[in-house]
Amino acid sequence: MSIEIKNISFAVNDFEILKEVSLTIKKNEILTLLGPNGSGKSTLLKVVSGDINPKSGSVSFDNIMLDKISIIDRARIRSVMSQSQDIIYDFSVKEVIEMGWLEGKEFVTEKFDNALNKVGEECKISHLFEKSFNKLSGGEKRKVHFARTLIQMYNKDFKTTSRYIMLDEPTANLDISHELQLINILKNKANEGFGVFIILHDLNLAYHFSDKVALIKEGKIHAFGSPKEVFKEDILSEVYDLKVHFDTSTKKISYY
Amino acid sequence: MMFKDFNIFFRYISLKQFTIFNMLIVTLIFIIGLGISIGSFDFSVLKYFSGSLTTLEEEVLINIRFPRVILAAVVGAALSMSGACLQGLFRNPLADPGLIGVSAGAALGAAFSIAMSAEFFPDFLFTPYLLPFSAILGSAFVISILFIITRGFGFEGMTYMLLAGIAINAFAGVGIGILTYISDDAELRGLTFWTMGSFGGVTWTLIIPAIIIILSTIFWTLRISRKLDLLQLGEPEAYRLGVDIKKLRFDIIMSSAIIVGISVSLTGMIGFVGLVVPHLVRLFGGVNHHYLLPCSALTGAILMVSSDLLSRILIQPAELPVGLITSAIGSPFFLWLIFRMRKK
Repeated sequence: MSIEIKNISFAVNDFEILKEVSLTIKKNEILTLLGPNGSGKSTLLKVVSGDINPKSGSVSFDNIMLDKISIIDRARIRSVMSQSQDIIYDFSVKEVIEMGWLEGKEFVTEKFDNALNKVGEECKISHLFEKSFNKLSGGEKRKVHFARTLIQMYNKDFKTTSRYIMLDEPTANLDISHELQLINILKNKANEGFGVFIILHDLNLAYHFSDKVALIKEGKIHAFGSPKEVFKEDILSEVYDLKVHFDTSTKKISYY
Repeated sequence: MMFKDFNIFFRYISLKQFTIFNMLIVTLIFIIGLGISIGSFDFSVLKYFSGSLTTLEEEVLINIRFPRVILAAVVGAALSMSGACLQGLFRNPLADPGLIGVSAGAALGAAFSIAMSAEFFPDFLFTPYLLPFSAILGSAFVISILFIITRGFGFEGMTYMLLAGIAINAFAGVGIGILTYISDDAELRGLTFWTMGSFGGVTWTLIIPAIIIILSTIFWTLRISRKLDLLQLGEPEAYRLGVDIKKLRFDIIMSSAIIVGISVSLTGMIGFVGLVVPHLVRLFGGVNHHYLLPCSALTGAILMVSSDLLSRILIQPAELPVGLITSAIGSPFFLWLIFRMRKK
């Protein structure tokens, strides 16, 4: 059970953003995508989530081609957290989270309330539910969107073989404690059976929490494997054009 | 099926919102009664039910007062509903069918059919319905243009949409001016009377189909409340949550074009209702569309029937154009809105 990404290429006005990218996102695993700015990370996430169609290549979810899956079914097997977070009108936090809840054949209030309580505890945002979303701090807004992304996968009414969570730099704006909290939740989700596909910038965080790491540079996968296989000084230095040190005793990466 | 929809509707509105909804219904019924009773010719509605009206009074009530008040209610609901939907679609609190040129597009379409129908369709069977139809085409055209211009602007789209609205309003003004200039006397008369905009002089034969179409479009539009909520997260986010964005866009554009087109074709241009009403409703009780859409329709109806009532009684026996009243209320409100945004 996995998402198979095969030979994906994507171009805008003859400029190739992705070149023959192949990856496998497995359930029970966190796959972290790392790479310099402009290397095509977000574009790859958009292709995998189905926002944009690749020029060539294919994406399949559990052996079903993505373009054969309806928009509604896609929403049931994968949720996506992107970087945008503003909402014009004055919705309450609860309403924003509720937007992520997918209606089944009939709306069962208890099911939703249970899911809401669960996600509120997990993300520690229950105390924010009745507040106005627009009055929250940047970090709190992130957490609410994260909760919305989680709750999208919590309705068990839909028969899906596996479910995936995709996140584009979810830890931006978060302080270190909230960052850790978010990553731990994702770790739990992977243990529960979700496949997690995440874009990060923090190399140390990626090293310690990923099951698989993909390094992307100029639209090409530079290295793909377990953190131990990929986190080599020469590979990292080449990808980032910067001398990167990796202390094997403390397992810490430093670059200044 | 209906019951299921009803259930979901209640899932999304709070008790407070439901209370507001009920209060609005009661107020609307009351204000319609008031609108029917008061005018240059006062009588109590209750007298109609007790059968103690004279033939003349009955004639005024059934064929003049009643269609007028009902039309005002339906047009108020239509303009407010369209305002709420457009503000949701554009994710822009300043969207209003009048301000952004949708009403002007409808007006140009309507004026075109008044001035040109004699040339192109001399003995056309459906001539009375040509006016609403061309008004719908005009407003659909403008909404589509606005959408193409403002897409890709994100939050800055607000400014561009208003600027585009100014341009479209000006363009429609030129078009109507040219049509006025080339019209013959009879057409000119029709055009002038129509442009002044009023609820007076309407007959049942013309407004019954209009009421049926507007009300059914409003009820049909209520079904997309949830999708409009999701759209507030941004188009990509809504798409990822399973919303067919292209279809949603088409549905809103068409429903707004139909209800604004028909309203404008019957009553002329009435400004600011579509802008003010959704804001008031949001201030009362919240921003979710399951609450916002039906309550905007009700509040719009209340506001319009009251404005029409004011227009009839302020300077009796003469009558103010109702657009004057709505603009007098609406334009200071619009300034206040801009002022409030600046503080944010």
